[in-house]
Amino acid sequence: MKKIASIFLLFTLAFTAHKYYLSLTQIEYNKNQNSLEVIINVFMDDIELAINKEYDVDLRLTTKEELEDVNSYFQKYLRENLRFSINNKLVDYSFIGKEYEGDLVYFYLEVKVKDKPISLEVFNTILITYFDQQQNIIKFKNGSERQSKILSKNTNKALLNF
Amino acid sequence: MKKIVSLAFSFLFIMSASIAQNSDKKQIKGHTDQNKFRQLKDVLPTPNNRRTASGAPGYEYTQQKVDYKMDIVLDEKTNRIFGNESITYKNNSKDYLEYLWVQLDQNMRSPDSKTPLVNSEKLGNNPYNGPKTFTKNNILKPADFGFKIEEVKNINGNELSYTINRTMMRINLPQPLTPGGTFQFNIKWNYLINNSVTDGGRSGFELFEDGNKNYTIAQFFPRLAVYDNVEGWQNMQFWGRSEWALEFGDYDVKITVPADHILDATGELLNEKKVLTKEQLKRFNKARTSFKDPVFIVTQDEAELAEKERSKKTKTWHFNAKNVRDFAFASSRKYIWDAMAVNINGKTVMAVSLYPKEGNPLWEEHSTRVVANTLEEYSKMTFDYPYSKAISVHADRQGMEYPMICFNYGRPNPDGTYSERTKRGMIGVITHEVGHNFFPMIVNSDERQWTWMDEGINSFVEILAELDYDPNFYTGNLPKDIVGYMSINQNNLSPIMSQGDYVKNFGPNAYTKPAAGLYMLRQTIMGPELFDYAFRTYSQRWMFKHPSPADFFRTMEDASAMDLDWFWRGWFYTTDYNDIALKEVKKFYLTDQPTEKAKKMAKRYSMDLADYEGKLVYFKEEQKGEVNTSLIASEIPLIKDHIASMSDKEKSLLKEIPNYFYEVTFEKPGGLVMPIIVELEYKDGTKERHNFPAQIWRYNDKEVSKVFKTTKEIKKITIDPDLETADIDTSNNSWPKKDNSKFNKFRKKLKG
Repeated sequence: MKKIASIFLLFTLAFTAHKYYLSLTQIEYNKNQNSLEVIINVFMDDIELAINKEYDVDLRLTTKEELEDVNSYFQKYLRENLRFSINNKLVDYSFIGKEYEGDLVYFYLEVKVKDKPISLEVFNTILITYFDQQQNIIKFKNGSERQSKILSKNTNKALLNF
Repeated sequence: MKKIVSLAFSFLFIMSASIAQNSDKKQIKGHTDQNKFRQLKDVLPTPNNRRTASGAPGYEYTQQKVDYKMDIVLDEKTNRIFGNESITYKNNSKDYLEYLWVQLDQNMRSPDSKTPLVNSEKLGNNPYNGPKTFTKNNILKPADFGFKIEEVKNINGNELSYTINRTMMRINLPQPLTPGGTFQFNIKWNYLINNSVTDGGRSGFELFEDGNKNYTIAQFFPRLAVYDNVEGWQNMQFWGRSEWALEFGDYDVKITVPADHILDATGELLNEKKVLTKEQLKRFNKARTSFKDPVFIVTQDEAELAEKERSKKTKTWHFNAKNVRDFAFASSRKYIWDAMAVNINGKTVMAVSLYPKEGNPLWEEHSTRVVANTLEEYSKMTFDYPYSKAISVHADRQGMEYPMICFNYGRPNPDGTYSERTKRGMIGVITHEVGHNFFPMIVNSDERQWTWMDEGINSFVEILAELDYDPNFYTGNLPKDIVGYMSINQNNLSPIMSQGDYVKNFGPNAYTKPAAGLYMLRQTIMGPELFDYAFRTYSQRWMFKHPSPADFFRTMEDASAMDLDWFWRGWFYTTDYNDIALKEVKKFYLTDQPTEKAKKMAKRYSMDLADYEGKLVYFKEEQKGEVNTSLIASEIPLIKDHIASMSDKEKSLLKEIPNYFYEVTFEKPGGLVMPIIVELEYKDGTKERHNFPAQIWRYNDKEVSKVFKTTKEIKKITIDPDLETADIDTSNNSWPKKDNSKFNKFRKKLKG
């Protein structure tokens, strides 16, 4: 963990051609299944750096040497940085899988809802520790209703209503 | 015609009556022109004889010229750089200048810099520190960076009065500089060089474990600010983000560095026989005719030998550059050096790379070739690259551009392996930074004011160059790539037309969004032929000049006969997004039986449809659960007989008779106006495209309808099937509504 602060400093100062720090969490309420379908996309470089530093590993994503248990690190990182509460109660989610596309990694998660959902709270600190300018966008779709919130180092929770 | 007119009048009358009734209750406010297609007259500056309404420089356009003669000494031991600089300022304007402004960029990192003071800070975000970081952030005194100005003198050796306001220095002229006049003066200076890896910065040095350094040096000398008729003196402070506005001029620069360094810089090397070995010269001459592969001037083995020594002697490299807006150089004993020739329309230009062994094997495979490809592709889109060379220098974590030379990242793992992403990042950054030679080094916009004019336009041409290098290249700058950004909360967006220092989400705002917008203009709105001619016109009109945004917008329209004011206004001046939706599809078929709707209409006109039996066909909307009594148009006697009665010549003007009629209503939840691209898929699997120009929204910004008359039954209708228009919500783009959710697609994929 010692390295974190200095790494974080480097990245905020370094000037690169077109780097920006953004993740998108899309949540859609599936009424028929009474479940939340969640897709998260993050920049591959950023999530790789974060996980490598956090757990002292070398994921080597999309190379031949990519770690076999890479999914377990993704899951672990998500569990620590992403939580959902429905009607003020913390709920569990299942990790359906991941997908690489260009510079992005997509994570697919599913939340089974038990009662009639009224409110949804999303706690999201993905990459915030490592990138000062990180912004995590939350988009929520319930039927034709849409809401969106933006999280950053200053706010790590978003409250959404069904 | 008369009837129609009177009908229209009576309609107007009814309308005004109802308005009059309303006004009894509350006043209905009028409005100014808010149409999305209104012209940009209220936004663009009034044209004049310096910048014309066509977007070209006018006959009274002038530009200052600044020549530099410099003696530079780089002291590797102390990391200090010393300069003795002689400046010749030519006032080509018709104005008297009481003072000159000089940029002192190094002062941005001086101990009294205001840059750290304007950044908001919170302790809560860093709840823990290691001892090194704690010391650095809380105990360490700021390093003594920033220019030390030793003297400012006129050519007679007398001291000149000057005033320093942070990153800007005003030279207080003894008497105003007359129009057409020249003023010569000298500045002697030095400064401590920052470590660009640990201290950050676009220039500086990287320190390697064995004590060797890679110097990538820029913004290193006091440079004249731009004086023009748009900003007066462009002397907005350098806060660290928004880059530069600089005048063109000629440079004569001598740089003294340790004798075992390899050095390259902006301009021509004048004393190559003195600084290069015979062998190096021989190889360089070979490179000058090698158009296929790079030739090593310094090999990796030679570089690895060199980096083990430390010469106590020095060597002076002498460069001359004509008509450039800046000067930069790179120096290290670690460099591998390779070069190849590029044929730009019959003229030979050198593509050059400098990199330490840490860059290999990636750099020897790609760097110089990417430089060559970039020069070729950009030249096609703009003008023949006018300089003699372009150098790509390997630098850890940097991506930064200067005339003829740029610093680029892309470092393999210590064991030489690298991911596809590292390679892609390296190809992307070299294309981007070499591309900056065109924008803004030659088409010299004001970077301090408008980041998008160089970053955005350059990122656009970069897409085309990258796709030429590798057709499957992931550019990240296409319209579909900007959707995520454009759909975030409005309070985190800035219009592209914002000054760079306060732009939110800098990367997508100033790079991706303008690049994606121009790509969309080229591919979807104007077409490559019209776009390319106009874009080349802009580039050639403003090469070696200072264009403003209006000059770009006006030229693109003037050279193409496309009114694009709606596009500039929406995409560049607002934060609106595009969302076009399929609201409703009504399917009609033909029948000879009067429909309810027809009956109603007939009644209004006191007609009896029974009188018209066999004389009219009716469009009947298909209803669920209703018996379909549709007739095939060609078998309806009425139509069949009518066609039979036509002459052969008339018949030859007919196309196939349609049997299906689809009334499609499009709505627009988004604020932007955009073309509607519609794909019809027929039952037999064949497809057809329709492209309705953005002007379809000119009367009604919310909703428009179209009727598709087809010979085959439609199975599916899709808006923007190739994701060309940055539509932020594609879940409302198809009929019938299908479950096209990414989530379900992925789940299906998992199941196999």
